[in-house]
Amino acid sequence: MTLSARRQPTWSASFAATAEEHLDDVYGYLVYLTRDRSLAEDLTADTFEKALRLWRRFDPARASARTWLCQIARTTALDWFRSEERRQQREERAAAPEHVDAAFADGLSPYIEAALAELSAGEREVIALRVLLDLDGEEAARVLGISPTAVSTRLSRALKKLEEKVSVNV
Amino acid sequence: MSERLLNEIRATKPAAPPALRERVRTLGEQEPTRAPFLSRFEWRRLVLVAPAALVVAVVAAGVIGLTRDDVVQGGGDQMASSAGATTTATWDSAEIQRSEPQRGTLKGLAAPPATDNLGAPVAPVPGQLQRFEAELRLRVDDVEALSSATKRAQRIALQHGGSVASLQYDAPVEGVGAAQITLRVPTARVQSAMAQLSQLGTILGQRYGIEDLQVQADTLQTQIEQTQRRIAQILTQLESPTLSNENRVVLQSRLSASRQKLTGLREGLRGTNAEGRTATIYLTLTTEEIQPAAVGNSRIDDVKDVLAWEGIALLYALVIAGPFLLLGILVWLALRLRRRQIETRLLEQN
Repeated sequence: MTLSARRQPTWSASFAATAEEHLDDVYGYLVYLTRDRSLAEDLTADTFEKALRLWRRFDPARASARTWLCQIARTTALDWFRSEERRQQREERAAAPEHVDAAFADGLSPYIEAALAELSAGEREVIALRVLLDLDGEEAARVLGISPTAVSTRLSRALKKLEEKVSVNV
Repeated sequence: MSERLLNEIRATKPAAPPALRERVRTLGEQEPTRAPFLSRFEWRRLVLVAPAALVVAVVAAGVIGLTRDDVVQGGGDQMASSAGATTTATWDSAEIQRSEPQRGTLKGLAAPPATDNLGAPVAPVPGQLQRFEAELRLRVDDVEALSSATKRAQRIALQHGGSVASLQYDAPVEGVGAAQITLRVPTARVQSAMAQLSQLGTILGQRYGIEDLQVQADTLQTQIEQTQRRIAQILTQLESPTLSNENRVVLQSRLSASRQKLTGLREGLRGTNAEGRTATIYLTLTTEEIQPAAVGNSRIDDVKDVLAWEGIALLYALVIAGPFLLLGILVWLALRLRRRQIETRLLEQN
């Protein structure tokens, strides 16, 4: 996707159409980030609720709708991680975090699934953005709040690690 | 990284379940309205706004500078007040233009007709005792005209019942000639005298000062009356046959002092009255060339002044707000760094 195509204003697009168009992207990103499809569903719904409230301030000249939604999704997920951490600390279960059965997608090879589950959320999210959603470096950088070069480095490391895990699991 | 692995990840992209899709669709039914202009405001647009603000500042400075009344007046300003208060008027360069046509009157050395409307713009109030002083600076064409104007000025003072208090005349063969004349003229006729004097050349500037003497005179008069009453009392006491010698000496001493004081007070009152009756005019005649560019340039200078003041105000604001702005930026950066660290930790843990 070219920069000009991404930057085209979509003022005429309705929220409903935008949500419909990018629902799978947001959901997929959150699945990879959380390793939990059920949780990803809730967070996706939360993301679109927030997006609905913020829709008035969305400016397509600054970022595409997909990038903007991914940013909101990321903030929502981080908020959840934060609250979960507090909850675990309160319940003194921080040392033994809840095990989540990773299930990223139907049809994904078990060894890839297992390898992805072993990656950190930070590594999985960069793979999700760059590989799964096919965002370019600049868009991914905008979502992650880092430079495109840092995205490239982070992606390279994550994929290398994934490959290593896959080769071990195979 | 094998392409097959990436392709598999892409091919198995998770799809939102129907329940979630329906939930989001329901949300979309409440279509929100678009944002008003202000909420869409981008800080990056400041880059466009800043040059526009600069242009506005320059234009404002130009408009203010070119339309300000005191620019036409050559920067001089006058302060006039009601009778009883001190009045001082500074050099008024505007008179340079107004007086230009009068230059010819000096050529024939004929006495110009005295007209009231050419007199001082600040005049003594009739019936009020005031000290009136005026400074008048005139340019004459050359040394010959300087000599004639000096003589004419003395004659004007005499014609108005006044006198020449002092005169300094300097007319070199080359260079600038000048004459400084101090004239004393009855206050009642000072306007007429000023009108005639102002026609001796081109007015470069004039200044007037009025100081109220009535209060001073009234105070002196009151003190005189009090002293007179006191003397009368002492005299009465001295006529008493029962007065002891010692007291008589004391009273006579007091009588002497009071009489001395009365003499001083009377002299003071006479002096004050004399001051009020006579105005002083400091007349300067010069062959110095007028700098016409000074008036023209004053407009541009004033635009520069306004711009300079705008710059000073901006600098002042920056100096005041700078530390707070810097502190704010540092706090913001620290909070941002902290947030990033937390996010990184959370993403590594999950």
